[in-house]
Amino acid sequence: MFELERRLETPLSVQVAVTVSSIVLALILGSILLAMVGINPLEAYPSVGALMFFDQWGWQDLFLKMTPLLLTGLGVAIAAQLNLWNIGAEGQLYLGAIATTWLALEFSEALDAQFMLPILLIGTFVAGGMWAAIPAGLRSWFGVNEIITTLLLNYVAISLADYLLYGAWRDPSTFNFPMTRSFGESSFLPMIGSTSVHWGLPLGIFLAVLTWILLRSTTIGFQIRVAGDNLSAADYSGFNTKNLLFIVLVLSGSVAALAGMTEVAGIHHRLQQNFSINYGYTGIIVSRLARNHPIGIIGTAFLLAVIFVGGELLQVEYQLPIAVVYLFEGLLLFTVIGSELFLSYRLRRRVAV
Amino acid sequence: MTTPELLTIILTTAVTMGTPLLFATLGGVLSERAGVIHLGMEGIMLVSALVTFVVDLQTGSKVLALIGAMMAAGALSGLHGFVCISLRGNQIASGLALALFGTGLSGLFGDALIGSTVTSLNRIPIPGLELIPIFGSAFFNQDWMVYLSYFLVAGLWFVLFHTNWGLQIRSVGEAPIVCDALGLSVTKIRYLCVIFGGMLIGLGGAYFPMVLTSFWVDDLTAGRGWIAVALVIFAFWHPGKALWGAYLFGAAIAFQLQAQVMGLKIPSYILEMFPYLLTIVVLTVVTVRNRRAGQTLMPAALGLPFFRGDKH
Repeated sequence: MFELERRLETPLSVQVAVTVSSIVLALILGSILLAMVGINPLEAYPSVGALMFFDQWGWQDLFLKMTPLLLTGLGVAIAAQLNLWNIGAEGQLYLGAIATTWLALEFSEALDAQFMLPILLIGTFVAGGMWAAIPAGLRSWFGVNEIITTLLLNYVAISLADYLLYGAWRDPSTFNFPMTRSFGESSFLPMIGSTSVHWGLPLGIFLAVLTWILLRSTTIGFQIRVAGDNLSAADYSGFNTKNLLFIVLVLSGSVAALAGMTEVAGIHHRLQQNFSINYGYTGIIVSRLARNHPIGIIGTAFLLAVIFVGGELLQVEYQLPIAVVYLFEGLLLFTVIGSELFLSYRLRRRVAV
Repeated sequence: MTTPELLTIILTTAVTMGTPLLFATLGGVLSERAGVIHLGMEGIMLVSALVTFVVDLQTGSKVLALIGAMMAAGALSGLHGFVCISLRGNQIASGLALALFGTGLSGLFGDALIGSTVTSLNRIPIPGLELIPIFGSAFFNQDWMVYLSYFLVAGLWFVLFHTNWGLQIRSVGEAPIVCDALGLSVTKIRYLCVIFGGMLIGLGGAYFPMVLTSFWVDDLTAGRGWIAVALVIFAFWHPGKALWGAYLFGAAIAFQLQAQVMGLKIPSYILEMFPYLLTIVVLTVVTVRNRRAGQTLMPAALGLPFFRGDKH
């Protein structure tokens, strides 16, 4: 028989092996479910993979999908530094998109073109922070569980977007489609070279690196790391942990809201219904897979983008519903959390006493 | 419409809308009393709704449909239990995984069902009780699943607070190390609570095709599973309080549905926010009052994995 023994340290090789095997396991489990709806995974996986990586449209789409996942993942990861669960990235993304749309529709004619993008960026950042200040304040000063409040606010933000799309902001020329007017061109995020990938991706990577630097080399970053390890110890050392919780959760919301900006200003150039395919919820997986490391999420956002684009291709090629994406995400999260046991423990043959 | 008539309609709708929340909240209470957070309710409810719908379509039997739903819900919950209890994975993350996985499963396998319909359960008035003004028809002229929910509230309350099992369950949620030392199997009790809790959540999912919607749509539960997650805290892990929480929320949904009829000129999308905002407000009030009183009603070991080898 075998028994578990706590590891003193986890070698990198084990970390890589565990992560890779959990991804492979998720793919295998997913293929069983695909086979149950009559799809041959041995045929589907390679054909989807080929379209994804060897087709010009495919890899550009990977980078496009990676952008919002990187930003929502970073938002979740920032909160996670203090063991806070921000499950509200979806709503923050919606609020960011609403803020961007309002600014773009309101100011694009009144202001010089060169000011528009900075205004969108700062305005969205502030709006997302204000939105996250609700759960952040409730958590810091009243101790209200942030998991529940951030989650419930998702539904509020989505209803708010629907309210605007069906009411004041609906473009009358689109008849029944709930979408706003198109933005002026000064509010479009520019593309990188001649690709369809916009500057949201470098922005996300820049913010991820910046977060990492701030965490490592500033006083507040140091306080966050100490408080993340042990909140009561931080309290005892005289840090204002209430303020720290508040600031971190607000920042987390601000960054997640930028995902809304990159989507509407980078791709759709207007606000429309269902522009997010659960990017906010997926951000939780992005962060978790990277064990909340700001640099690690660059890689995991790409991995989740592979799942998204793969799901979309399955949708197109095999007429599957988009739900197949959530199925794979759920499986992946399960196998990753389940496998974390093997990072802190190892199996050992039980010695007879 | 007279005021008593309107009250009756709102109360009746509150009970109907609150019942799936009540089942799910009871399931969450059972699981969390034993120390395992259950965030995957939305996924379990969607899958059990799908199973109910499919079995009902195939066999025409509501009872078989319900049994199927509970088995599926128990199995999914067992998966959550496996990750949280045996593999000691993070309970919050595992719950989120279950929510996503269940949404995916119901979307993938429910796709072929879009457009088909099943019949809804009939109302069975309880003679005598249904004649009570205002409350009578709201609480005692309902379908049998509503009556089942009353029994489950009472039953869960009795088991948790007045039986030896209940004492064991609550102890495992408070001090698993002590329970282990006394010879109780923490693992076994937690598994049972998670699986039975999951079955109760499954009843909540089954209620959607049984009563609320006769046709299949994608994302049938529309976020109600998440409300139930909040209701567990809101109810302070107590079955009786879960009843009031679920009906309060049911009333919020009923008000949302009735507002147009009542002639209130509030756009429907604003009304949709109302139940969620109400939950946040009530949760805040309840948390503040609880903290003032200096009590922590939350099971002390909630969310913490237990491992015999780690005695620290």
